[in-house]
Amino acid sequence: MISNSKRIALILLFSLIWAVPTFAQTGFDLERIERATVFIMQASSVGDELIIRCVGTGTLVSRDGLILTNAHNTVRGANCPGDTLIVSLSVRTDEAPVPVYQAQIVQADDGLDLALLRITRQNDGRLVERSTLALPFVELGDSASLALDQTITIVGFPNFGDDPVDQLRGTVIGFTAEPSGGDKSWIKTGLEIPGTMSGGGAYDAQGRLIGVPTTAPVTADSPQSRCITLQDSNQDGLVNTNDVCVPVGGVINALRPSSFVRPLLRAASLELTLDTVTEFFERSTVGGTPNFSGMFFAPSVNAAGMPSSVSSSLPAGTDSLYLFFSYQDMTPETVYEMRVTIQGVENPTFSLSPVRWSGGRSGLWYIGTTGQPIPNGLYDFTLFIDGIPIDSARINVGGSSEPLPLFSDIVFGVEDIQGNLFGEGFVLPTGSTASARFIYRNLIDGAPWTAIWYFEGTEVYRESNVWSGGVEGTQTIRVQDPNGLLPGSYRLALYINNKLAALSDFTLAGAQEGAVARIFANSHFTTASTQVEAIAAAPVNNFTAGTDAIYALFDWEQIRPGTLWTMRWSIDDEVFYERTDPWSGTDSGEDYMLSLSAPGGVPDGTYRMELFINDLVFADTQARVGIGQLPIDRFAQASGIQMRGQILDAVTSEGIPGVTIVLVSADFSAAEFARDWNQDQVYALAVTDRNGRFQLDRPLQPNTPYSVVIVAMGYIPVLADGVEVAPDAGVIDVPIYLTRG
Amino acid sequence: MTIIEVASRPSGLTARQRWSHYFVLIYGMLAVIIGFNLRTATLTATIPYSNSAAGIRAYYPQNWLLDTSDSYVFRVRDMSQTGFKTTIEVAVQPVTINTTARNLLDTLTLNRAPALSAYDVLSTNPYTLPNDRQATAMAYVFVASEANPFLESLPQVVEGLDVITIQSGQAIIVTFLSSVDTYEENLPIFERFLNDLEF
Repeated sequence: MISNSKRIALILLFSLIWAVPTFAQTGFDLERIERATVFIMQASSVGDELIIRCVGTGTLVSRDGLILTNAHNTVRGANCPGDTLIVSLSVRTDEAPVPVYQAQIVQADDGLDLALLRITRQNDGRLVERSTLALPFVELGDSASLALDQTITIVGFPNFGDDPVDQLRGTVIGFTAEPSGGDKSWIKTGLEIPGTMSGGGAYDAQGRLIGVPTTAPVTADSPQSRCITLQDSNQDGLVNTNDVCVPVGGVINALRPSSFVRPLLRAASLELTLDTVTEFFERSTVGGTPNFSGMFFAPSVNAAGMPSSVSSSLPAGTDSLYLFFSYQDMTPETVYEMRVTIQGVENPTFSLSPVRWSGGRSGLWYIGTTGQPIPNGLYDFTLFIDGIPIDSARINVGGSSEPLPLFSDIVFGVEDIQGNLFGEGFVLPTGSTASARFIYRNLIDGAPWTAIWYFEGTEVYRESNVWSGGVEGTQTIRVQDPNGLLPGSYRLALYINNKLAALSDFTLAGAQEGAVARIFANSHFTTASTQVEAIAAAPVNNFTAGTDAIYALFDWEQIRPGTLWTMRWSIDDEVFYERTDPWSGTDSGEDYMLSLSAPGGVPDGTYRMELFINDLVFADTQARVGIGQLPIDRFAQASGIQMRGQILDAVTSEGIPGVTIVLVSADFSAAEFARDWNQDQVYALAVTDRNGRFQLDRPLQPNTPYSVVIVAMGYIPVLADGVEVAPDAGVIDVPIYLTRG
Repeated sequence: MTIIEVASRPSGLTARQRWSHYFVLIYGMLAVIIGFNLRTATLTATIPYSNSAAGIRAYYPQNWLLDTSDSYVFRVRDMSQTGFKTTIEVAVQPVTINTTARNLLDTLTLNRAPALSAYDVLSTNPYTLPNDRQATAMAYVFVASEANPFLESLPQVVEGLDVITIQSGQAIIVTFLSSVDTYEENLPIFERFLNDLEF
């Protein structure tokens, strides 16, 4: 016979199958997202007081306390000089956040303006044991599959932590392309997102994080800077302009896609640390003032990020437009902005709110859009640095396509005796000649044209002539130096009638190996007990599980300091490190060394290191650790149905504190668990608080038959099998009554 | 005509009745004794556990949740407790010939102090294990609070006892944790656990 208490509990538990969703969108658990959204304060100690220096929103992306947010308000810098990061949670989602934890930065990219923090301490300074945390978190979605007009929900804190977490719902109105991230470097939304929501989350209909609302306040010494005074930091009894002012960004209209977050999250969750061991390089320093110049437009870009041609107007029906410009002395902390007007009216779709610089120090950059309709009109583009207008350009879109003289599609290479061009397009080996081939159309013989070659921004060769090649075809030109061309960054600009017609950069580096450059060589992995031993150690392709550190070494040839190069590391084909930096070493050398390590040893997996220049791979090395595959993280899944509730006394209807609720894995029955009481059989666990309320520490998966065991001293235990939840169930909040016995 | 039978009241219980009463009392007492024994057996029932890698055999209380997934050899918790879940934990640590129990206790204190609220060592005393092996016991207190910040739970004062002994190049640390309210009541469970522990 079944007891009354069991009967009541079983009825309630089985009723979960028909649980009513609390949010209309399937899979969109707004409450979990709101609970996973945190308010972050960066603070510094002044005397015995903590003074808030910067604020922003963040999002929990793992149950053990990894928080995704912006770098500009967390990483220590001129604007944000604090050294303590305080994390406030929405303990109740209808109330303002409450400071609960302190965190540390574990991964950051200043240029992309992304940072991952890890909760390390309680707010009172006690260390937090990571395994005891079971915080609500969100999963990353696929930002690459996001489409125009798709509905998104932005979640964050609308001001300085005075109000509860808030949500805004809107649509994707466009994408912005940049060299650092391709066509979807930014997701654009028509929403006016408050600056304090920067670092929060943008979610798709399934509740997966697909972007991070991002804007950066301009640097404090800019006349355009905005800030708010919150505290009497100098303790003079007054809150005035003499006190610390917390910088705040303006309205946000750009989201950094989640695809940029994955490498950081992968490295942080595996606790991988990649250190450059080689220390003999002289680090380059930035001296000049950041600047933009030479703005022009192109209808498309090639694979190397170079303009296909130069346009001064585009026909009606155009769906692709790129603004190119040269940049000098930029840093990851530089804040830039682009404002676009159409017929004098500001247009948020094509504008880019103030964000940090994600490129190198100097070079050619573009901001563009592709695959979306560009309305006819007169477009004015203005670029800003730290809130100050730097340069502007105008283009007309509309009308019919006219057959204007055109140079396009410049590629570079090495010529053979027959005049055939060989090579990889935009990276050439060092030698005495560099050749360029381009397409021409609608040319008229007799038209004046000019080719100007630049080396590191300085003109090195000019060829002015009268066109005699006919109406259309391909033309090859070259630059030569009998003493050999120096390695470095080159640019070719082509003019027709003294008007810029085409422009492209290329890099000269490495020794000549046929038509291909040999820039990196002898790339390999190894292991050793010391760094010195690692240099002489033999290459290793298979490492034992738990190896303390893996060393990666390579030699390099003919790379001019300042040349942009990219290093990418991946595990099981998932990138966990990718960075493009100016080369800061000597021209040639041996044994550039890096060390990859993790607490408890480098995790099992297949590791790969690739080295690029201009998006072309010049070294690719792979090795296996342990079984060559990452172990499965059973807590990585955030999706599912949250179950919470209240355990009540069947007679008094009062909450019972300290009751244990065990959700047993689908592989075991309640009776089996009650016999063994083994943690390995537990899927999720909860203990009630002083009001009898509980919250299971893992979401339930739909259509999975769990068992439930509830025990409390003085009460008849409850055992139930076959507890399932429906796929469309939202948060489940269930009361369960226990009978004294 | 009515016939009235007059009989004298029996002067006492028959032998049969008397024995019946005795048997009722005896059965009652037997039932109480059996019930008490069953209760004791249930409350003190244990489950064997052995870990050959760590060289440990133990008997832990039945219906306590066994966990071997962390840095300790094993941990059992009484999940039916409504306050702090009474816990017994066994950990093994490598030591050198110069390591003393005192060093280990200091390390434990240094590691716990930053993580546990109001952590305070109450006493450190020599302790004799059932097999007459010498050990050191450290009693301490701290305040435990709920890890889930979204629940309203009051902090609880927890009393702990570490028993440490060094043998064969490793230190065995046996820890008992219980709410101060139930510490004395639960301590015999720990003592029985120590009695049965083999390493």
